[in-house]
Amino acid sequence: MSWIREGELTIIERFCGNIIKAGPMPKHVAFIMDGNRRYAQKCHVERQQGHSQGFDKLAQTLRWCLNLGIREVTVYAFSIENFKRSKEEVDGLMDLARQKFSRLLEEQENLKKHGVCIRVLGDLPLLPLDIQELIAQAVLATRNYNKCFLNVCFAYTSRHEISNAVREMAWGVEQGLLEPSDVSESLLDKCLYTNNSPDPDLLIRTSGEVRLSDFLLWQTSHSCLVFQSVLWPEYSFWNLCEAILRFQMNYSALQKARDSYMEERRRQQMERDQAYVTKKLQQEGFASHGDSQRRWTLLQKCTAMREERIQGFLQALEHKREDFFERLCTVSA
Amino acid sequence: NDDCLLTRGKKYSSARWRLDGRALQKLPVHMGLVVTEEEPSYADMASLVVWCMAVGISYVSVYDHNGIFKRNNSRLMDEILKQQQELLGLDCSKYTVEFANQDKADQVLNCQSALKVLSPEDGKADIVKAAQNFCQLVAQQRRTYTDLDVNVLDNLLSSTNGFPDPDLVLKFGPVDSTLGFLPWHIRLTEIISLPSHLNISYEDFFSALRHYAACEQRWGK
Repeated sequence: MSWIREGELTIIERFCGNIIKAGPMPKHVAFIMDGNRRYAQKCHVERQQGHSQGFDKLAQTLRWCLNLGIREVTVYAFSIENFKRSKEEVDGLMDLARQKFSRLLEEQENLKKHGVCIRVLGDLPLLPLDIQELIAQAVLATRNYNKCFLNVCFAYTSRHEISNAVREMAWGVEQGLLEPSDVSESLLDKCLYTNNSPDPDLLIRTSGEVRLSDFLLWQTSHSCLVFQSVLWPEYSFWNLCEAILRFQMNYSALQKARDSYMEERRRQQMERDQAYVTKKLQQEGFASHGDSQRRWTLLQKCTAMREERIQGFLQALEHKREDFFERLCTVSA
Repeated sequence: NDDCLLTRGKKYSSARWRLDGRALQKLPVHMGLVVTEEEPSYADMASLVVWCMAVGISYVSVYDHNGIFKRNNSRLMDEILKQQQELLGLDCSKYTVEFANQDKADQVLNCQSALKVLSPEDGKADIVKAAQNFCQLVAQQRRTYTDLDVNVLDNLLSSTNGFPDPDLVLKFGPVDSTLGFLPWHIRLTEIISLPSHLNISYEDFFSALRHYAACEQRWGK
């Protein structure tokens, strides 16, 4: 399969893999696959070659992840900022995408066999229409597979993703599906392109750069960040193990920080809800600290109503997104 | 006019600080000091803040994921003022700090730098607040959802009012994570890690700045 290299680990790799798997393992790893162009320069080949080798390395890395039991991977394939590159390079990258997505569609049996769900995340209308159509086909064809998940960020930046999520919530308010007070961190989570995935446990960036470059900023606030100096096309199984070891060393500190953050978030939501109930009771002419039974009942009612609104909104959002892909598929049919 | 001061056993002239800053190819405009250790040290953080300002960094933010510095803001400010006195002596007025989220207006003489003390509520929670405000406007039919884009949302955020995005974050401690520090604002921020902020030396601080000055930024191109 072109997107996931066939093959098993070597004996030594399997041995080390088993040692690593004795500790906590990331369930979802994100990669900033940086260094294709520097690699091309180093090897005195065309940039396009560098990107092509980069893709091959992606296929190999996905295989290693699956062998290690890591079932979800998100990669930064093309940033909205990358449109600023020379026309030649951008066209080359678009051609590479055409090639790879077409190949993917030819291998549908394999995708089904391995249960690979492909998602493409980004501002897809920015892409050439034929690529949007290929993407739509790939996404719809694999949407129900669930053995492993590959999320490809294409025409993506985190700020666009977050803004889009806020825009969707505003759309929900405009449609009468949501109240402004329904807007919360957890609702925003569910409006991101990554809403079907847990946050990445581990983010790896290659080529020595130590920045996030507008990738999954919201989702990686409490992830283990590992910056490695190796250039992406030269990434090895050992580099991956090294990153996982760093994850393991950070595991309990990050778990603790995440738990206390979620606790604080719950506490603040509870505070807001209590304040709302107090105001409501005052409006209805009841003493704000009076009947605790009445308070509790009102709190339950408000929470249930909010839940209902949110479910309705999320369904409408899901519908809108499916519609977008389905319309692209009928165009190409 | 060089005033020699004893700082942790070394003699530094106050003029030296600015020279150090100018010697670098580039200085961050906004430096984030992020502590991932459980027990923050007010004295060490104060030193870092004062060094940042002495060297010519215009905006400094301080962060810990438990919000300890923010809750104990005045203690940190007092420590900073004390260190300013100790490290910069008579030249104090030239390096006076504008406390961006405090009302110590009497301290503001000759503003060279601005400081913010931040916590997780300035991160995702601030984005959510901006989103709620926008949705209120939509509910009142004063805006439509298509009005919201990256720039509009950026302008609605308030946790770093007046500050540019951080160019550089110095992250102290063993945890390999930003632990919720300004997720929106750090999209292009260089993140340099140091093992600890406890008993941090000026040399270690400055070598991180040297490291930053050497890095190449391609901006996606």
